[in-house]
Amino acid sequence: MKFAFYPGCVSRGGCPELYSAANLVCDKLGIELEEMPGASCTGAGVLQEKNRLLGDILNARTFAMAEKIGSPIMTICSTCQGVMAQARHRMNADADYLEEINSHLADEDLHFSGDIEIKHLLWVLIEDYGLEKLLPLVTKPLKGMRLSPFYGCYIVRPTEALQTDDNPERKVALETLIEALGATLVDFEGKTRCCGFPILTINPKNSMAMVAKHTAEVKDLGSDAMVTPCPLCHLNLDGFQPKAASQAGRSIDMPIIHLPQMIGMALGIAPKDLGMKRHIVSTQKLELKLQEA
Amino acid sequence: MLEHDVLVVGAGLAGMRAAIAASSRGANTAILSKVHPVRSHSNAAQGGINAALSDRGDAWEDHAYDTIKGSDFLGDQDAIEVMCKAAGQSLIDMEHFGVTFSRDEEGRLGTRAFGGQRRQRTFFVGDFTGQALLHVMFEQLLKSGVRSYEEWFVTSLIIEDGIVAGVMALEIRSGEIFAIRAKTVIFATGGCGRVFEPSTNALIVTGDGMALTYNAGASLMDMEMIQYHPTTLAGSGVLLSEAARGEGAYLLNKDGDRFMKVYAPNMLELASRDVVSRSEQTEINEGRGIDGCVLLDLRHLGENVIMEKLWQIRELGMDLVGKDMIKEPIPIRPGMHYIMGGIKTDIDGLTNIPRVYAAGECANVSVHGGNRLGANSLLDTIVFGERSGNHAAEAVKHIKYVDFDEQAKIKEEKARIQSILDRPQNGDRVSKLRLDMGTSMNDNIAVYRDEEGIKKTVNDLKDMKVRYQDVPVDSKGKIFNTDLIFHLELGFMLDVAETIAAGALERKESRGAQSRTDYPDRDDENWLKHILVTQGEDGPQLSTSEVSITQWEPVERTY
Amino acid sequence: MGASREDVLIMNVTIKVKRFDADAEKPESYWEEFTTEVADNATVLDALIQVREDQDGTLSLRCSCRSAICGSCAMRINGQGGLACKTPAVDAVIDGTITVEPAGNMPVIKDLVTNFDGFWDKINQVTPYLQPQGPEPEAEYIASNESMLHLSGVTACIMCGSCVSDCTVLEVDPTFLGPAALAKAYRFTADPRDGDEDGVSLDRLKDLGQKSGMWDCTRCMACVTACPKGVDPMDRIMALREQAMDAGLTNNNGARHAEAFVELVGHSGSLDELKLPVKTVGIFNVPALLSYVPVGIRSLRRGKLPSLFHKKIEGVENVRRLVKKLEK
Repeated sequence: MKFAFYPGCVSRGGCPELYSAANLVCDKLGIELEEMPGASCTGAGVLQEKNRLLGDILNARTFAMAEKIGSPIMTICSTCQGVMAQARHRMNADADYLEEINSHLADEDLHFSGDIEIKHLLWVLIEDYGLEKLLPLVTKPLKGMRLSPFYGCYIVRPTEALQTDDNPERKVALETLIEALGATLVDFEGKTRCCGFPILTINPKNSMAMVAKHTAEVKDLGSDAMVTPCPLCHLNLDGFQPKAASQAGRSIDMPIIHLPQMIGMALGIAPKDLGMKRHIVSTQKLELKLQEA
Repeated sequence: MLEHDVLVVGAGLAGMRAAIAASSRGANTAILSKVHPVRSHSNAAQGGINAALSDRGDAWEDHAYDTIKGSDFLGDQDAIEVMCKAAGQSLIDMEHFGVTFSRDEEGRLGTRAFGGQRRQRTFFVGDFTGQALLHVMFEQLLKSGVRSYEEWFVTSLIIEDGIVAGVMALEIRSGEIFAIRAKTVIFATGGCGRVFEPSTNALIVTGDGMALTYNAGASLMDMEMIQYHPTTLAGSGVLLSEAARGEGAYLLNKDGDRFMKVYAPNMLELASRDVVSRSEQTEINEGRGIDGCVLLDLRHLGENVIMEKLWQIRELGMDLVGKDMIKEPIPIRPGMHYIMGGIKTDIDGLTNIPRVYAAGECANVSVHGGNRLGANSLLDTIVFGERSGNHAAEAVKHIKYVDFDEQAKIKEEKARIQSILDRPQNGDRVSKLRLDMGTSMNDNIAVYRDEEGIKKTVNDLKDMKVRYQDVPVDSKGKIFNTDLIFHLELGFMLDVAETIAAGALERKESRGAQSRTDYPDRDDENWLKHILVTQGEDGPQLSTSEVSITQWEPVERTY
Repeated sequence: MGASREDVLIMNVTIKVKRFDADAEKPESYWEEFTTEVADNATVLDALIQVREDQDGTLSLRCSCRSAICGSCAMRINGQGGLACKTPAVDAVIDGTITVEPAGNMPVIKDLVTNFDGFWDKINQVTPYLQPQGPEPEAEYIASNESMLHLSGVTACIMCGSCVSDCTVLEVDPTFLGPAALAKAYRFTADPRDGDEDGVSLDRLKDLGQKSGMWDCTRCMACVTACPKGVDPMDRIMALREQAMDAGLTNNNGARHAEAFVELVGHSGSLDELKLPVKTVGIFNVPALLSYVPVGIRSLRRGKLPSLFHKKIEGVENVRRLVKKLEK
């Protein structure tokens, strides 16, 4: 099983623990990853506000590079996943548009066919790798650990570009994985809401209100941690949690872990190696639960 | 006390147009509606709005003649002239307000073909022209600053010494009863589709204004003229626009034949609606239908045309019957859609109750006579909405408010409502009674009628009116008691149904939408007249009035 | 008359409704379950109407056209905003039950009836009527069919409130203009007849760029998912942003954020997370920059602070070339 690996900007910047955890997990599972050093940022939807055509071209470059490698793309960031899926959807739907995009790629001798598989690690595990293959490799079932899923908008909407109607298991992928790994699922209403990261620098008050709302909700439900497949969500929910708690006037103290960190723990990889010490909100209590499991 | 010079009841196209017109002429105007204005049923009009533009070589006289012929010569030609002359300017007014009409290659307003018109003069927005016009009219209403009573329900007209003094109204949100004093009242309450089951009409279309004015002494005219639209979906009765046929769709029977070539060899699918509906019904009755339907086939139009001009009805086909018209034909059948009949008015919207006006579908000027052409209704609402508003705004300058005892009226209305709320359960239900009425009407006063059938419905209605005196409600609450509203609406519907049945029985001929198998021919000698129904001691009182004929002598009507 | 009933399959449906009796002494929300029989091609609205007609007339909901054009029946079905008349009952059943609640982000009046006053206030705030400048032509304004078709995609909005129900910003900040009002505003800024002779509605764009306006959208796409008419409110908000930036209204964090993104990605091919916030708030915006210091220190201590020396991607000249080529 091989993928053209697209780690995204944040796992190389503000969330380096995600990058190392993802690599460790894929290594352990025997998933081969080949990176594309020439691939640029997806634009995260922000670049697209200023110039959508430019955004689509930049993503088409990445798609073309993956096609040269001959493997589907794997992402480890909900935002990358969503932005790429939307770009692909536009190009796939309009042959004239695709031609226009390819005309810009020609200088680099790149060409995008119009369709390519783009899957987040979360979906790869459920759909391609399969739980039957994953579960025998679990050495530390997360028994007694209470975990809440937080998807990140871009891996949930819009359903057409993400092809979730044809693959309905994607709508509950996090819940499925949490329970399959032996943890107790603590479901909550905010799991598909917004973490507030996109408006962090534009309306910080609202951004913090969103962080406080979702982390407090699971705190009050008794969760030990929130799991998210998006490092941008992680930056806000973890990095800015103290600020959010202060604005909300209450303590929250909810550890936020990346998807590969959850899987890594179950596969027996040490939390230290998974980079959990880097988090702003301490994962100490969670690690204790892991020891008890 | 709440008081306004001009009170418009009903906030669809006609009502909002009237309110904007009256307000722009300086009258203290208010508009009242039992739903928020943008929920009005004008929304559901799909196909387009007619206008003859002279700078395109079209002539209002041609539009007028098409309309008169379409009406089977029952339309009042003076009123039709007024409407067709005003159409061009009304259309441009709408465009200036901001309606996003379809355009031709030169950026000018574009047209599509429509039923009963010899020239293309139907201007449109996709297949949701009504919604487009309604929302723009609402924008203009907001701009005008007219006071809006949203989700208020008029329970009765206040008449003192034979003159209107105002209305009694229930504020649905709070359940409180109010009296609103008005110098003039303009009714724009729409049709009465829910009198029939099924119907293309929304659940709110219950003939309120027709019943309210009828009970206050107004004459209702040509109530038997009920339009059965040729293309409605089986089951829900929801409308698939004539625009489909305007863009070139075919009607096929079970053998795959375009049967309209037999009934209307020139205009085929674009003959007038009553002709098409009768043709379909005949095909179905004679065994050439499929499950009580015929087929509307758009496949040959191609995906591009459908997606650009008919995407809304395509969604309806997929959502409600699971068929994609790009790939397969849609089963449709005639369904109750519109009432040409209504409150009799003159060309300025005045009814025979002093200071009470009516405009839009609830009124009968008459511009549609025995059958309405598609895309003439949107025009009717705007032209006569404006005229009523203008006329009322002038009239109020010379009249005073009429006095009445507000507290006494409120007390009386509250007691009446309470007596309904207090009724004990007796096994009958408002919904059941309505369904029984609707089924009887649809069985006997549909496309084809005869004396026996109509009389059966007349008797059914008498029984139902007795049942109505006792039928209870479930909800005794005050806040947003929709149960009570449905009860009050049912009362209105039964009154209206009675007038429809009376008119159908009285007119012993076939003309326009009235097709009597026992009187299959048109009889100009005896029946080229309007039939009026007025509330009497012992029920509906019938009389007749002259049809206005200006330029065009009635001739045989073929398509 | 009509399709024969024997051919239509009947199914049993359990529908769980979140109710609210405003007339009660101590009104509070409660759940009530109903079971009813509907045709297999029935909508959720058909089921609710059947309950109301046959079982419990006290159940209040707004509905009218049954054909997704009046916008009355917006509500949350299984947690998702949308029109009850456009949702097939068979698709809405989860573990045997359809769960129905009033639309979100609005106060409840009774059962499924919500208070739209706030919704209409926001619509009013965007001056929701055409404001053409210059003399009015005698006949129609000349406008391309393309522009009218584009607008028809936005005027398809029936003001049902499904988008507002699910907006994640409105959930934490009721002052946000919201997707319906912003999409309505775009309907005018995109109308060639509104604004100056080039169709640019500068005053509108200025107003919409204020606090609680176009830049406050968090791009979560909940409104796009909820909208039953394909209006795509978020896309319209993004289009507003593009219009505002094109019109030179760039002196705000939102615009700077988007422009900085292009600049930074254009420079190194990937995002420089340290520079982005600085460019967004403005390098001289000392208070804002200071507010990031605590987070910055925490991140630094954990080894999470992105490197000051941001690495360029391989072949970055390709990206630079493209950015320059597509500069607006």
